[in-house]
Amino acid sequence: MTRPTLDTALQNLKQEVAALGELVLSNVIQSVRYLKERDFDGSKRLMKLDVIINRKRFAIENEIMVLIATQQPLAGDLRLLAAMLEIITELERIGDYAKGISKINLLIGEASLIKPLVDIPLMADKAVTMLRLALKAFEERDVELAREVPTQDHEVDELYNQVNRELMALIVADPSNTEQANHLLWAAHNLERAADRATNICERVIFCATGKMEEMDDHFGMRPAGGD
Amino acid sequence: MPKIEAEHLDFFYSGRQVLKDISIAIPERKITALIGPSGCGKSTFLRCLNRMNDTIRGARAAGIIRLDGDDIYADTQDVVRLRQRVGMVFQRPNPFPQSVYSNVAFGPRVMRQNHRGSLDALVEQSLREAGLWDEVKDDLDQDSLTLSLGQQQRLCIARTIAVRPEVILMDEPCSALDPIDTLRIEDLMRALAADYTIVIVTHNMQQAARVSDETGFFMVDEQQIGRLVEHGPTDRIFTSPKDPRTEGYITGRYG
Repeated sequence: MTRPTLDTALQNLKQEVAALGELVLSNVIQSVRYLKERDFDGSKRLMKLDVIINRKRFAIENEIMVLIATQQPLAGDLRLLAAMLEIITELERIGDYAKGISKINLLIGEASLIKPLVDIPLMADKAVTMLRLALKAFEERDVELAREVPTQDHEVDELYNQVNRELMALIVADPSNTEQANHLLWAAHNLERAADRATNICERVIFCATGKMEEMDDHFGMRPAGGD
Repeated sequence: MPKIEAEHLDFFYSGRQVLKDISIAIPERKITALIGPSGCGKSTFLRCLNRMNDTIRGARAAGIIRLDGDDIYADTQDVVRLRQRVGMVFQRPNPFPQSVYSNVAFGPRVMRQNHRGSLDALVEQSLREAGLWDEVKDDLDQDSLTLSLGQQQRLCIARTIAVRPEVILMDEPCSALDPIDTLRIEDLMRALAADYTIVIVTHNMQQAARVSDETGFFMVDEQQIGRLVEHGPTDRIFTSPKDPRTEGYITGRYG
């Protein structure tokens, strides 16, 4: 016996979560590209796109609530829906980080960059790779992959620490750099947090597949200490 | 110590095995729900708990069921006393065609366990516990069959608790009731669980999830013999069952 109504709805929801994920990841990549290329129009466009991400997130949330109310999902189905509720929240926040980076580009404005942007795009690449793998683990219920992804988090943390050190040195060398250095540090911070959220998604994947909550938060220990 | 404990219980109807190797510990003053597809043996198991199956010709139990540690199938067991300690509420309300008062007073009178003076008090207390007192107190002499189905079922619960049982067995107690009466019975069960051990058989999984502390899932095996597949805390069974057969059944994908 199958449950065509519930099964179809669950399948559609998974696809919608995947589509939301793609949109968010694209925004993260683009936000850093526009920052590097100093493309203000691009950043403004992205900030508007964030509204669509928020709308999609609420639409999915609503569909999940309706399914819970009308289909009484239990066990694995219920865990899948609970996991999706968490994952769309994580994705929406990551979308906010991309919006934040876009805003930083506008705040820095016409001033030339105090340092060439190398590590920040690298952080974006790594964070996006982690997020992509986390979403793949979700789509394929791949517990092994979900356990593997968080182990990459320390690379993002190390890059963040490096960016932090460089920006601090620039401030010490010339205090007039402070404002822009602060903005760039926020951009790096957003990417570091985005990678952390990939870990959160992986925890949900494991819960969804096994029913067990596994805390994988070595990022709390690894959280950048602010210039070690 | 569990209130009731089944150990390796097998059960047969005229030589045909319908339950195999059922072992379960039922905690005191908790609600244990038994769920499973039709024909899985859950009602048979329930009826083993006060030996209601004894009345069926050719029915035979093997294994042990203990109530407070004593084997209820032992030769020395007084079955009338057992059924006073372990009462039962059935699927359809089955009040006697008598007054409300007589229904509730019936058990105590038969058991002669009550002194005349306090029978009124016992009837009132039982009706209060069953959440029916306020609705019937002005006319205890009315024919019980004039009550609504939901009221009749609560009357049956009052009749059951009037003999001061320790365990209440409920076999699909809400299947004939509308959603409002169903919720009233469920609320009543939660209240009764403070004083009684309740075991309920239900086809309604949401009911099991709403009302019970523990859930046991029954299913037939390849030989069409009922087995207890899984038993545990209700919140775990309905969110993370261990056995794929439990998962299949409660998510509606069994079979």
